[in-house]
Amino acid sequence: MEKTREVTTFQAATILISTMIGVGVLPLPLFAVRSGDTGAPFITVLGIGIGAIALIIITKLGLRHPNKTIISYSEDIIGKWLGKIFSLLVILFFLVLTALAAREFGAVVITAVLLETPLEVTVLVMLLLAAISARNTMNTFVYIHSFYIPIILAPVLIIVALSLKNANFLYLRPFIASDLKDSFNGALTVAALLQGSFLMTLIIPTMKNPKSAVKASLWAIFISGGLYVLIVAATVSIFGTEEIKKLYWPTLELARTTSLPGNILQRLDVVFISVWVIAVFTTIFASYFLTIQSLKEYFNLQDHKMLAYFLLPFIFTLAMVPQNILQLYDIILFIGKVGLIFTFFYPMVLYCWDLIRNKRGSKDESKQA
Amino acid sequence: MNRSKPKLKQIFLVILLVPLLTGCWDSREIESRATVLAIGIDKADPDEEEKEDEISHRKGKIDIPAESLIKLTVQIAIPGRIPLGPQIGGGDRSPVLVVRAVGHTLEDALLNIQQEVASEVFLGHLRLIVLNEEVARDGVDRFTDYLRRNPEIRRTAALVVSKERAAKYMEIKPELERVPSLYLAEMVDSLIELGKFPETFIGMFWSILSSKGQDGYLPYFNIKGKSNIQINGLAYFKGDKMVGKTDPLQIGGFMAGIGAEEGGYGIFVKPPELEQEVLVRAVERKTRVKASLKNGKPHIYLKIRYESEIEEIDSRMPTHIDEDDTKALENEFSKMVKEGLEVLIAKTQEAKSDIFGFGEHFRGKFPDFWSKNVNTKENWQDHYANLTYDIEVITSIRRTGMKAR
Repeated sequence: MEKTREVTTFQAATILISTMIGVGVLPLPLFAVRSGDTGAPFITVLGIGIGAIALIIITKLGLRHPNKTIISYSEDIIGKWLGKIFSLLVILFFLVLTALAAREFGAVVITAVLLETPLEVTVLVMLLLAAISARNTMNTFVYIHSFYIPIILAPVLIIVALSLKNANFLYLRPFIASDLKDSFNGALTVAALLQGSFLMTLIIPTMKNPKSAVKASLWAIFISGGLYVLIVAATVSIFGTEEIKKLYWPTLELARTTSLPGNILQRLDVVFISVWVIAVFTTIFASYFLTIQSLKEYFNLQDHKMLAYFLLPFIFTLAMVPQNILQLYDIILFIGKVGLIFTFFYPMVLYCWDLIRNKRGSKDESKQA
Repeated sequence: MNRSKPKLKQIFLVILLVPLLTGCWDSREIESRATVLAIGIDKADPDEEEKEDEISHRKGKIDIPAESLIKLTVQIAIPGRIPLGPQIGGGDRSPVLVVRAVGHTLEDALLNIQQEVASEVFLGHLRLIVLNEEVARDGVDRFTDYLRRNPEIRRTAALVVSKERAAKYMEIKPELERVPSLYLAEMVDSLIELGKFPETFIGMFWSILSSKGQDGYLPYFNIKGKSNIQINGLAYFKGDKMVGKTDPLQIGGFMAGIGAEEGGYGIFVKPPELEQEVLVRAVERKTRVKASLKNGKPHIYLKIRYESEIEEIDSRMPTHIDEDDTKALENEFSKMVKEGLEVLIAKTQEAKSDIFGFGEHFRGKFPDFWSKNVNTKENWQDHYANLTYDIEVITSIRRTGMKAR
């Protein structure tokens, strides 16, 4: 296993940003509004807060074991068997997450853009692209992400800025949702959209300067979270909460309502969709990469390349499981929340355990297992 | 053995690439698309149900009463006849094809139209939907479902209400533009630009329709002469049903009420101190809406600032005007705006149609009051009918044109 430490802080942040911005941005305002009406931006901030805590935990945990990923150090912390079991669950979760992201992508494409194209084709093409790219090394992985980041961020910001022409800021008030339980539920849903940040565990061992990993994480969550809040605030102020509840992908509608000044482009959804395809690609690519890299470590393999194609049929089959879009979103919301167990609570437990164990000293270590 | 391996790979690669040759599933040539530019929706006579063929349902076996049958008239662009670039005089052949069909719902009628048109009906370039007043009065929610679901529809398309049958608007031949529907759509856009109507498009109308504290409004058109179209007022809605229309002049008042910046309307003003009628035109306005609860009852305070200019002075009298006169004009203009607005608010209160969106202020600023007393659109409409308000208008006349004195 070659260990090259070449990833800079900036690159680490860009990977996280482009991973966190993915399919989720399309239905995000709907999820937020459903659980808190005009409190949607507030709920998004809450969700980002939860996501940030999760990311900090996984980063801190990684820093205690700067040469390993969670797959290996979990065995050190909670023992071989327990570690193996949980690692397998984590890997399975990201396998499912990859499949669902690809399926959601396919669902949007066939309903909104390419009506005649079979769903299987759009999903397969996206997965194939991710699989081919995931055969590359960590270095290439990093470069692909850094390369796409301006293309992902800039157009979204432009669309938001242009759309504010028709904004009605009254739609944003009152700022805080009345129902606490619903708000928390919504915040969890938003946090679930940020789970790609789990990738940090894979990045830390390859970072040039692991000390700055926390800085990279904070910047990443700040930028992608800021974009999330911006999108939610913009869609709510333009459509109002009641209209958003009638739309599957309010963010896409935002692009459809916005036109470039001077009738150059009368609707920006074409631009937005192409940008969004890239954003989705980087997300699926990242979770695919995470899955196969983790699998490689799990089975102590030398090479991850063959795993890329080996997993493809499984992911594709999983992606085809939901029967229609209604079922798809039920599953996505459910899996997303279940995933928080693996990406939030599991690292947290590991972290606490690790701290306690270290305090007690290494002589008790055998008892823990 | 070693040599045959790459060969197998290559063959496999070729096989993989073959499906790509079939190309894009969604490619449609422009010629094979029936591009719908405008749709007109009218009420159909109940006896026209007989004429509807059995395309999406068996005769009489549909749970939508014959009274709500609609007649759809669509303008389809004929490929090759839509002129690009500057217009070079009239060809006689019309660039659009007008097709009609009846149906129980919008999609029902569109399916019936598809049955008559060889190419696939394509709504991606739809610029305008004309609703006949009668249809609008029956409620527009029944059309929004299909329009929201269809990914081809632009949210920036225009929606207008017409006095005459909408079919007439599809057949009209305006002189200024060869493609009739484009002329109509341009008209809506330029009215907004000229300050004759507040920003309006279908997506915005839907947002207002959905919101709990505001009722919808749309431009109201009628036909003048042979082929001219006039904006004749503002159609206001209660819920999804049109309940009335205003005069063209009241649109100006309405725009003051919602705080549209672009002023476009001019009115004749004659303060008692002056002998002449003076045409004062609004250039710009700024509106501040202050919502408050007076003894638990909603109250609105409107403060409107106008920037205006003198455009014309009735020249049968001496047209001399000095500083003091402009003061009088400003006051008189403010008074007239205020009175006009009060009439409009009273009119909409009677119809329980809060087109100003005052309800949104209460929903946003007094969430406790809202959740306790209002909560639904219908409740707010009742509250609106009893809303009290104060209006203050301040006008400044800044320009008087090129003429000295």
